[in-house]
Amino acid sequence: MADETGQFAVGDRVRVKTANPDGNPRTPAYVRGKTGVIAAVHGVIANPLDHYGLYPPLYSVVFTVGEVFGGASRDQLWVDLHEDWLERA
Amino acid sequence: MAQVHAHMQDYEAHVRAVEEDLEYYRTKRLEPRILYLHRRGIVTLYDILRAFARLAPDAASAPPAGAASQDLAQRIRALEDGLDEYVRGIALTTIEVGGQPLPIEETRKERGDYDPFFRIAKKPHGGSLEERIARLEQDLRDYTLLLQAFTRALVETGAVTEAQLAEQRAALTGRGAWNGARIVARAWVDPEFKHALLTKGREAVRELDIPPGRLGKLGVAENTETVHNVVVCTLCSCYPYDLLGDTPWWYKHDTYKERIVRDPRGTLEEMFGLKIPPTMEIRVHDSTSDVRWMVLPRRPAGTEGWSEAELARLVTPESLIGVSEPLSPDQLAAAPAAPAVRQPRGY
Repeated sequence: MADETGQFAVGDRVRVKTANPDGNPRTPAYVRGKTGVIAAVHGVIANPLDHYGLYPPLYSVVFTVGEVFGGASRDQLWVDLHEDWLERA
Repeated sequence: MAQVHAHMQDYEAHVRAVEEDLEYYRTKRLEPRILYLHRRGIVTLYDILRAFARLAPDAASAPPAGAASQDLAQRIRALEDGLDEYVRGIALTTIEVGGQPLPIEETRKERGDYDPFFRIAKKPHGGSLEERIARLEQDLRDYTLLLQAFTRALVETGAVTEAQLAEQRAALTGRGAWNGARIVARAWVDPEFKHALLTKGREAVRELDIPPGRLGKLGVAENTETVHNVVVCTLCSCYPYDLLGDTPWWYKHDTYKERIVRDPRGTLEEMFGLKIPPTMEIRVHDSTSDVRWMVLPRRPAGTEGWSEAELARLVTPESLIGVSEPLSPDQLAAAPAAPAVRQPRGY
């Protein structure tokens, strides 16, 4: 299992790109364009049963339900996102 | 007879679960794979047609299993068993074909996860319970015949070897929700194991002689006094199924996927009867497939001094996803016949 950790660290604020036609498609629509915080750094994960080659480093990015969908909920969405979908916020 | 099936209280719920699962496995697992191989000329529809002709000649005219019985509970049980067999059969054929890896990602594209154009229609349900059961019996028989012919065509065309099938069959017997129960029980009694599980994931379970699987990383989300975790895959239905077995049907259903991220607290209460106190934070883990999440639930009160084997009986598949707590000692005592995790559907 590769162990590259990429450019973000726990606590960094990141914005999810709204579209990433060259990237992998595994970013849920509801967080596109939203801003969250890196909560876990998973690195580059070898997963040949799931997809060809390696995807960029993976992070768990935390959003609150309220920020994403509106309302007052402080409950958290931990969404696993690859680095090619993220930019520093 | 009523006594034997006393646990099958809600026929409609059982029938609904079979309907949902049967269409899920047909449209999401089997047919996209068949279409993928057909499009590329690796195993074509005509290979399948030829293999079908060589199946037992009476296969197509035999009555569906269980249809002869008058007893609804028996017919539903036969459907559940047939569905398990169908799901196992699909898993058996989900292997490298023609020496080429066929990653899950290709299946996701083929079945239209990212493009509705490719989606395969599911059958609508409806009618009386009897009508729904009769339709399921017919569907299950037809779907199983296609699976059998497809499996035979895989071997006859040389796309898959008998040795590969045997290897896959052996691998499948090692997965299941009972693994999850054993992992959780060990983590409850052994802090060192728990630490290894939380930090190293899959590798830690070798200690229990459980095959760890290799579908990406295993993420373990630990419930505490202040945090309750719940798992979803909104993009498809990712789960560490190579380790923990398949999920219940509702996990793969859009209703759960859409609601749990929008309103986790309300969804847990309304869909699953699980009320999380307002002082506790809920964390919903949405997976991309590279990390596959399970929940490490909290050890129930009143279990001091229990053995690992006893504790494992408290762990349900639902508690590994985070939509319920493990059983309490009282709940276990009320249903003592079987372990909380019955050898689950599919694997």
